[in-house]
Amino acid sequence: MIMEDAEAPHHMLLLRNFMSQGLVQNQPLLYASPAKDPRGFLGTLPCPSSSKDEKSRNHDTEQEKGLRIAWQYKKYFSENIDDHKDSKQEFCNDFDLRKPLERHFYSGQRVDCVSIKDSPNPATLHDRCATFLAQFPRNDGSFSCMGRIAIQSLCAPQCELSNMDWDILSFIRSLKSMLRSANAVAIITFPPSLLSPSFCKRWQHMADVLLSVKAIPDEDKELGKLLTGYQDMVGFLNVHKIARINTQVPMILEATTFSIKLQKRRFIVLECLNQAPIDGSSGTSYGTSGGCSGSSKSGALDF
Amino acid sequence: MAESMCRTLRDGSLEGEQAPALTIKDITASPFGFHVFSHVLSQLSSFILASKSQSRGIVIVAFSRSPSFYVDLLKRRGIDVNSSHKWIQILDCYSDPLGWKYQLMGSGNCMDVSHETPSNLSRVCKDVKDLDKLYSMILELGKGLVGQGKDRFSVAIDSINEMLRHASTPTVAGLLSNLRSHEQISSIFWLLHSDLHEVKVTSALEYLSSVVASVEPLHQTASGKRGDLENLSLLEQNIGKGKLQVRFKRRNGRVRVVVSLFLLFSHSFFFGRVWWDLLPLIMKR
Repeated sequence: MIMEDAEAPHHMLLLRNFMSQGLVQNQPLLYASPAKDPRGFLGTLPCPSSSKDEKSRNHDTEQEKGLRIAWQYKKYFSENIDDHKDSKQEFCNDFDLRKPLERHFYSGQRVDCVSIKDSPNPATLHDRCATFLAQFPRNDGSFSCMGRIAIQSLCAPQCELSNMDWDILSFIRSLKSMLRSANAVAIITFPPSLLSPSFCKRWQHMADVLLSVKAIPDEDKELGKLLTGYQDMVGFLNVHKIARINTQVPMILEATTFSIKLQKRRFIVLECLNQAPIDGSSGTSYGTSGGCSGSSKSGALDF
Repeated sequence: MAESMCRTLRDGSLEGEQAPALTIKDITASPFGFHVFSHVLSQLSSFILASKSQSRGIVIVAFSRSPSFYVDLLKRRGIDVNSSHKWIQILDCYSDPLGWKYQLMGSGNCMDVSHETPSNLSRVCKDVKDLDKLYSMILELGKGLVGQGKDRFSVAIDSINEMLRHASTPTVAGLLSNLRSHEQISSIFWLLHSDLHEVKVTSALEYLSSVVASVEPLHQTASGKRGDLENLSLLEQNIGKGKLQVRFKRRNGRVRVVVSLFLLFSHSFFFGRVWWDLLPLIMKR
């Protein structure tokens, strides 16, 4: 689940990547949104960046790690994908935002779109999810086909659903249980400011992986001094929870805060926030190495 | 400065984009929201008259003031109202919002409410609870101004609070969202007194807007009571001061925050970064 920031559309960047990644792998997709015509959004999905673009970019290990952690849940499936002889596309994390995805990837039956704008209750969405997930039953060890569900802004204010707190919670729980017995993953984005605090906590608890995105103030000189590469940054990504299923070993991440940068306005790059702890006696200081988790979250990022 | 938010409305939206939406919100400690609303309205009107804006007309959805009030307001600001029916229309949700007077008229008990506003400028809405009807009336009035083609118009709603009295938050949010997505609407702005609703409602309206202008008091006082009384008596004489914080959601995903101080003196606003900027402006008057 991704907690949106009401002031910025960064969750859309993550959603687009998620959706394109699946479509390029021929994985069926169910997309739900509060728009009247969700299909329109498919035209904005990015195309995988071609390999020659990749080589020209400097991808240091720090950045790759960031990407891996953020899309970590994919690892569970990517390790088990059978090598189909006809699969032309490598599993890829890099997309070119300026090039739209080719139409043949999302035309036809592969993409199912649902509008939640006029739904009087979550039952319609629930039924569509159930029908969709029935295509990918999880039999032992077989990963022949996988599906993805992307639900955008589930409690958007223009939907009647936004008033049905308990019903939506039941829907999320039911979706989770359906996913346990299907070869599929789901992303739900929601703006936490539109939920009451107690329900916000409940929703967060429901998530296996919990991320949040945050907007950055524009032309903030102090922030510019504190963070390297501020000019390219569009927002922050925080990792709050990582899925730990069937294990009691917690995962301790090296870094939980990443900056979302747009390189050449085409590629999203997640970078660990590099900022040394502020030493009161020597004034502000920042380093370009040695990521620092946790402590960088307050202070510089409070605005 | 506050003029940047008027410029955002003036510039309107690009093809395929949602129309910019401005929320003007105030609180009891700084109750100058309506003055800011009137200021934005007259600024946008002068842009429209001078053909400097993307929109060619404006539809005012009037809940808290009568249409004649707006005509007088524009006259006072020196805006030509003689040709006004060509670029302004007022949806009158003030005179008879629930249709009671109309029903009484039907039974012959009530005198006809004579409207001081010429009927080519305003239209009465007799059922503000039906937001679908309200939506189609707004579009009808707007298309009457700019035609069915590519020209656009702006919409101003003078009180979202009144709308929320009669309809649920999702329906109001749906109406605003539909207006924003309509290809003939250039920009929208509305006024919200945020004290009157739960935080959830204010957050929902802020979520739907691209610019949020908060009218705040200069200093946060621990007990606002005395401040409120002072403010109210000054407000009656149209004098006041405060802070305006405007947050812009930019296309690149960043948030631009502009804070300016304002001085309200006899229906006119003076904005400035610091107080001494405002002195020469006031002296000029």
